[in-house]
Amino acid sequence: MDMDQPDREESGVVFNIQRYSVHDGQGIRTVVFLKGCPLRCRWCSNPESQGPHPELARNAGRCLGVEICDYCKEICANGALGLPEAGAPVVDRGICRDCMACAATCPAQAMQPYGSVRTARQVLDAVEKDSPFYSRSEGGMTLSGGEPLTQPAFALALLREAARRHVDCAMETCGHVSWTALSRACGLLRELFFDLKVMDPVKHKEQTGVDNRLITDNLRRLLTEFPRLAVRVRTPVIPGVNDSRDDIAAILDFIRPFPHVTYELLPYHRLGAQKYAFLDRDFPMGDARLDNRKFEELRNFAAGNRQAE
Amino acid sequence: MTLDCCETLSPHEQRIKDRIDGKEDRFRQSHSRAFTILDEFEASRPSIDVERALYFTQSFKETEGQPLVLRWAKALQHIAANITVYIDDHQLLAGRVGKPGRYGILYPELDGDFLDQAVAELPHRVGAPFGITADEVQIVVEEIAPYWKGKTYHEALNAALPPDIHKLTYDDPEGLISRFIVNETSSFRSSIQWVHDYEKVLTRGFGDIRHEAEARLAALDPLSPRDEVEKKPFLQAVVIIADAIVHWAQRHAALAREQALAESDPQRRKELLELAEICEWVPERPARSFQEAVQSQWFTQMFSRLEQKTGTIISNGRMDQYLYPYFKADIERGVLTEDRALELIECMWVGLAQFVDLYISPAGGAFNEGYAHWEAVTIGGQTRDGRDATNELSYLFLKSKREFPLHYPDLAARIHSRSPQRFLWEVAETIKEGSGFPKLINDEEVVPLYVSKGATFEEAYDYAVSGCSEARMPNRDTYTSGGAYVNFAAALEMTLFNGRMLKYGDRPLGLETGDPATFETWEELWEAYKRQQLLFCKAAFTQQHIVCALRARHFAQPMGSALHDLCMKHCLDLHTPQIPDGINLGYFECIGFGTVVDSLAAIKKLVFEDKKVSTTELIEALKTDFEGREPLRRLLRSAPCYGNNDPYADRIALDIDRVFVDYARKYSRELGIHNDIRYVPFTSHVPFGKVVSATPNGRKAFTPLSDGSSASHGADVNGPTAILLSNYETKNHGFRERAARLLNIKFTPKCLEGTEGTRKLVSLIRTFCDLKLWHVQFNVVNRETLLAAQREPEKYRSLIVRIAGYSAYFVDLSPDLQNDLIARTAHDTL
Ligand code: SF4
Ligand code: SF4
Repeated sequence: MDMDQPDREESGVVFNIQRYSVHDGQGIRTVVFLKGCPLRCRWCSNPESQGPHPELARNAGRCLGVEICDYCKEICANGALGLPEAGAPVVDRGICRDCMACAATCPAQAMQPYGSVRTARQVLDAVEKDSPFYSRSEGGMTLSGGEPLTQPAFALALLREAARRHVDCAMETCGHVSWTALSRACGLLRELFFDLKVMDPVKHKEQTGVDNRLITDNLRRLLTEFPRLAVRVRTPVIPGVNDSRDDIAAILDFIRPFPHVTYELLPYHRLGAQKYAFLDRDFPMGDARLDNRKFEELRNFAAGNRQAE
Repeated sequence: MTLDCCETLSPHEQRIKDRIDGKEDRFRQSHSRAFTILDEFEASRPSIDVERALYFTQSFKETEGQPLVLRWAKALQHIAANITVYIDDHQLLAGRVGKPGRYGILYPELDGDFLDQAVAELPHRVGAPFGITADEVQIVVEEIAPYWKGKTYHEALNAALPPDIHKLTYDDPEGLISRFIVNETSSFRSSIQWVHDYEKVLTRGFGDIRHEAEARLAALDPLSPRDEVEKKPFLQAVVIIADAIVHWAQRHAALAREQALAESDPQRRKELLELAEICEWVPERPARSFQEAVQSQWFTQMFSRLEQKTGTIISNGRMDQYLYPYFKADIERGVLTEDRALELIECMWVGLAQFVDLYISPAGGAFNEGYAHWEAVTIGGQTRDGRDATNELSYLFLKSKREFPLHYPDLAARIHSRSPQRFLWEVAETIKEGSGFPKLINDEEVVPLYVSKGATFEEAYDYAVSGCSEARMPNRDTYTSGGAYVNFAAALEMTLFNGRMLKYGDRPLGLETGDPATFETWEELWEAYKRQQLLFCKAAFTQQHIVCALRARHFAQPMGSALHDLCMKHCLDLHTPQIPDGINLGYFECIGFGTVVDSLAAIKKLVFEDKKVSTTELIEALKTDFEGREPLRRLLRSAPCYGNNDPYADRIALDIDRVFVDYARKYSRELGIHNDIRYVPFTSHVPFGKVVSATPNGRKAFTPLSDGSSASHGADVNGPTAILLSNYETKNHGFRERAARLLNIKFTPKCLEGTEGTRKLVSLIRTFCDLKLWHVQFNVVNRETLLAAQREPEKYRSLIVRIAGYSAYFVDLSPDLQNDLIARTAHDTL
């Protein structure tokens, strides 16, 4: 039997495969977004990535209105779809089983699945399509999420299958994962993007739902044990959470012993807000906005600090 | 996402913003002469100059009965002797062929039969209005048009088309209104885009060409009837036009001397005297300096415009190659600086920008909106022995394009597998400027294809970009007929309505392939579509067969022929249908590729596979333009689409292309030409869309079709790599029966920001080259900028956008086309 078969047939939940991604990492890349995340950051711009299973998205703005469209009228076997007089149907999230029957019938993509089950073979077949572009740009595949390592077997199967096809790999992680999975992944990566949000464990727990102990331990250990892996530590700057000099200074202190690490600040943005509405969830950040000047100051501060090392 | 896309302005947008804010252009100081000339005509309304038409007609009245090539040469001689000559203030080059400002000239041999009506209507036409004085209208109506009634090519063609072809071509018996189904394009131009062998003029001069013709005349066999009837008039014509262009140049020299006498500014006086000296020397003799070379080229291309209307302009050829020896020598001698060289070529660009290719027929106008022009200047590529040809001039042209904000010339960069990184880098930086230049043509596709069509490697390596996306070998190509533009979305409509089109009523125009409601399988529907497509192919080829034979009786081009090795060798005018050893690179045009592919994919999937829609329901919805059936329309739109690297849609596209190449392989031979499939409409997907009712891809009735080989509007959602790969996947690589494919990709500046952005664009271009795609062009602009320009056209007069192979001022475009451009997908990544 083909030794690689198990990897190829390993399956997992993927919520997006985005081609021609040029803003993160080397070259022209395809980003594979895996569902599931152990954190619940209040500012998360990919709320659809958090839960482990496929979820129904309901984009009322795209709905043609039940007054002219009857495609989803009698589709829901679970009685979760409420039909108003006019406008978009309403989903009773308590009853909805995310069976996607309504999404399959909706002509306007007002109902859509966030996530579907795919095999590693299917994912890599899709990723490999852009191989002519990777070879010219030194690009490749980036695993993202969610947290890719919440599906460790699948994520590792993807990385191994990519290696077999000579597709270069990068990964984004929140760090709150088992060391076994993380260290195995690191051995298959060219670059790792590691999010480090807040150093204060209490605040971290408050803002993300989990303590940051595992995260910092993992980061320290991987920087020690994989000294040749390109690591980019990133901090999303969130208004009212970590947008002070002290917050950033604490992170800089932590990575100071590791001069080979690249450090980067990312500005908070609200572009994910509407996706909360699609999931019938409230956006925890409300109208909060990041002061651009403040961000630039922090960015300069961080750059100056790293340079001074 | 708007938030993010707006953050970065392309340099081009930044300069427009500066202009709105009243700031001086940052490059004005270093390009002051070109800017000064530009100020004088930019945004002025073009006017029509009737002199060329008048003198041409006068001469033709005198030469009836003589061989056509001789008549043409004599007409040019008459024009050269009488047309007003001008030297513009500040200009370093002489040789405009009409009055100051932006101007266009008339070609009554093409459209003289309706010229009188048209000139009166012209000033009112939306999109491209031209000014004409009352006196000139009178000249057209009284002295020019009457002579041509009953004599034009257009009338002859209209009469020659068999009824079943005529009804697909024209909407009226006179052939003045297009059907936009199987359109002919040969009556609004004497020749398709063309490139002269300018190098010949620079190195030999017309004096030497004249000597050659005289020597050949002397050597003719005095007893040979063919020599007497064919060769003699041809060679006489060559002598006459050589004299004519030299005479025309001498008149400029005299004018320069006259102006110098009256000039008070010593600097300008010196310039004028130099100009006089130069015009006395070229184009008669070989150029001795860079300036003489530029002037000699300029005289040649302008005289060529007097000679005939080459559809959408005569191209400039491989300028960085044939000018390079003069550039290099002058720099080495210390008599030329890069700045001066730049000033000289920019004097040419502003000269080009003042000549407007008039389309006075309504059909021609519809084809080429916004003062279309494709005077391609080719840079880069390979030498005749297949080595990289990039030189310092290539970089200078790119620099000029970055710093001087003019959408002339149409700059085309030839890319090949060993293009130096610096070249691609500067190409990418120039593209990032946002004016859409340069467009890229791929040697890795063109060269092997041309070799397979009969060229030698040397000839193929030396091709020049011509017009919007063609490639020409100036001494080997011999094909000049305008090709058919075929609306394959109409073929689809006829499939669905049993040979009829809603727009044209109940009379069948195509084949009656049966009521689609009776088709039980996808294969039946596909077969029906295929029959319609083949009928259109046949109509296109039949039309072309007639066109090829007819044109030689109406057109001649003694100067163009004098510059062509094969024409000179065989003493045949370039309009001759078959010239020994010539390669006839013709093409027919597919309009609406993406529209048809997406429509067939929707039918295949939703009607026959998923059975979500019945044929009857679909037809009903199409008839009523989806009135009250928005859900169905959306469903249709959700089917697989071309441009996404989706094998489902791409397979159908490949099959459609296969029908074309199979047909072309078999029937091109009958025409004696390579009549190959091309996917390059100008702006014609807009007028062609106006006759096609709603399509099964959810496109609303009478809206634009997809353009070139690009995806339907908004259908390409997987980004540029998928667009490029879809294009690759849908070509039948095993066939040589393909011509150009035009591909537009739009980026917002954010996507290409910084050094990283340039690097990634370079790698994208490298892969484009690897994929052997013929052409790609990039639009780098924000959607917001376009919307703002629509709202406040005054402020955005200089916003340049790329449309199907050329760039135009956005505000010059009709509202239709503006919307179309806005609707195209912008590829931003987040
Ligand atoms: S996903 Fe399934 S259960 Fe949920 S609303 Fe749609 S049809 Fe009903
Ligand atoms: S099928 Fe879709 S568009 Fe139609 S009513 Fe339901 S949600 Fe709206």
